[in-house]
Amino acid sequence: MVETNSEGKEGKVTRRQFARGFLLAAVAGAFGSLLSLLKVLSPPASKGGGYVATVALGDLLVYAKGSRQGSLLKASDFQVGDAVLAYPQGKTGNEANLVQLIRMKEKEFKPPTRLELTDQGFVAYSAICTHLGCTVSWMKNEKDPGASYTECFCHNSIFNPARGARVIGGPAPIPLAQIGVKVSKDGTLVFTSGFSGPVGPQV
Amino acid sequence: MISKWFDERLELKKFKEKFLTKAFPTHPTFLFGEIALFSFITLVITGIFLGFLYEPSIDKVSLFGAMVPAAYASVVRIDLLPLGMIIRRIHHWSAMIMIAAIVTHLGRIYFTSAYRKPREINWLIGLALLAVTLGAALTGYLLPYSQFSVTATSIAYYISKSVPWIGGWLSRLLFAGEFPAAGTVPRFFFLHVMLVPLALLGLIGLHLLVLVKHKHTEPAANRKRTDARGGRRLIGIPVWPEQSFISVSLFFFLLSVVVLMATYIPLNPIEAYGPPSPATPVMRPDWYFLPIYGFLKLIPGNLSFSIAGGKFTPEAIGGVLFPGLLALILVAIPFLDRVSTPRNYIENPLHRPVMTSLGIAGGAFLFMTTLSGYIDVLHIAPSSMAIYVLVVTAAAWGISYLLLRLYCRAGKKGDHVKT
Repeated sequence: MVETNSEGKEGKVTRRQFARGFLLAAVAGAFGSLLSLLKVLSPPASKGGGYVATVALGDLLVYAKGSRQGSLLKASDFQVGDAVLAYPQGKTGNEANLVQLIRMKEKEFKPPTRLELTDQGFVAYSAICTHLGCTVSWMKNEKDPGASYTECFCHNSIFNPARGARVIGGPAPIPLAQIGVKVSKDGTLVFTSGFSGPVGPQV
Repeated sequence: MISKWFDERLELKKFKEKFLTKAFPTHPTFLFGEIALFSFITLVITGIFLGFLYEPSIDKVSLFGAMVPAAYASVVRIDLLPLGMIIRRIHHWSAMIMIAAIVTHLGRIYFTSAYRKPREINWLIGLALLAVTLGAALTGYLLPYSQFSVTATSIAYYISKSVPWIGGWLSRLLFAGEFPAAGTVPRFFFLHVMLVPLALLGLIGLHLLVLVKHKHTEPAANRKRTDARGGRRLIGIPVWPEQSFISVSLFFFLLSVVVLMATYIPLNPIEAYGPPSPATPVMRPDWYFLPIYGFLKLIPGNLSFSIAGGKFTPEAIGGVLFPGLLALILVAIPFLDRVSTPRNYIENPLHRPVMTSLGIAGGAFLFMTTLSGYIDVLHIAPSSMAIYVLVVTAAAWGISYLLLRLYCRAGKKGDHVKT
């Protein structure tokens, strides 16, 4: 083993070369094996990813917050220009189901609002802003109810409820998805369709 | 007696001669870094108190008859303890002061050109410290699990998810699943009380080690005296006793200011925000995130593009590309403004029109993007605000450059002068 300290002859590995190579391999191996942790620490994506609404046809609308949280909405409680946050009854744990129910004058609806999804001036849109997922708010115009609009307070995206909740200001990339509602015989409100488009942030 | 016992074992005298006699140049602007360090110490101490009482879980528990997340309930209980709310506010205020001190420190280094050779490494370590401190703030936001916390963190989640190519994996890694997942609070708690403070400690140690190696830059006024003594010897006061006395006084002064602020200025009133509920109030992040928040408001929703399968959505442009670009510029500064020989004196910013005017333009830009966070109360349309941002930034640069040039010509000084 005397010759290992000198320069290696052709085809021979010196002690120094071996040590360096071994160190390199050890470091590469150690870090390489750790790379798998990057996968483990990041849980797998849920199916569909992000917001998946579970509204079914015939679900009744209930108040999402406030003193009447969980109780059924009545059409008679709403004037033109009113709006409220609502969930389908029994499915309040899923934020993707949150909608904003608005009452407007029926003749104010213009395309691309889907008229067949409205009833007696009631229209409902997803309440989850398509920008970064905040809940939208209703900006009621007391003097001119028809000029009321939907705004997200996070980054001021503004949606026009009379025109299919299309974006009229701010950074939201797409309109809020519309969902069908109608007034049933006993005056409660009921869902008549699924969402017309994607719900939640478009990232 | 006691000091002799220790001295015989630890050779304190030698240590004192070697390190505590080091000269510390005197200039009041050299204390911003110390303020950041002292805020960190306050944060650790108050953090230990909070850590004993905080419960990192979102399981529903009963609080005054209502079912709320355990994390929220535990912070409400902290607030109800004698001095509990003050300790929590001291923690939050110290975080704000720490970031403000870091930013001011960075500005001081920039405008006096103290980032140049041989101090580029410490410039980079300092930037890393700023980034990690912002990470500490971000992870701290979530822990009380109030309506505010959840909304703010949700925005951070979607920004991280919008990172091109790796967004999905990255967001699930940081937030332990798709926010709001049950694992998010425990993971942020671990990051906030363990990983981030350790990283900060390591970086602070490195920052100081490199500082001891390089020594401080000196006020230019010292130059003649140093030259008269025949070369590079630092002029200043010794670490012990003078500088130590100043530092300890500063620490306790800072502490008293923070305690006063915590006592009288409310901050993050989680009881007013309430536990998470389906409604987003009008809310703004703490001031240091306002430029990003404001910028996000300016990006039109239809602005997006793709590169090699990576999608750059408006969120990615405002929340990832924009801060990334700012960071890149900061990293590049010492490598763009290069000098061949080491520089150990601070420059007068008035004598450096190019760098100083660019710095002023950068400050104006950050101010205007911060202002963009308020377009809803100012009633300005995003598109007009975007124009204002550009105009004000360009004007700040142009005007300050012209004025500085005129000033230098009058005094026959400026960038061309060999220093």
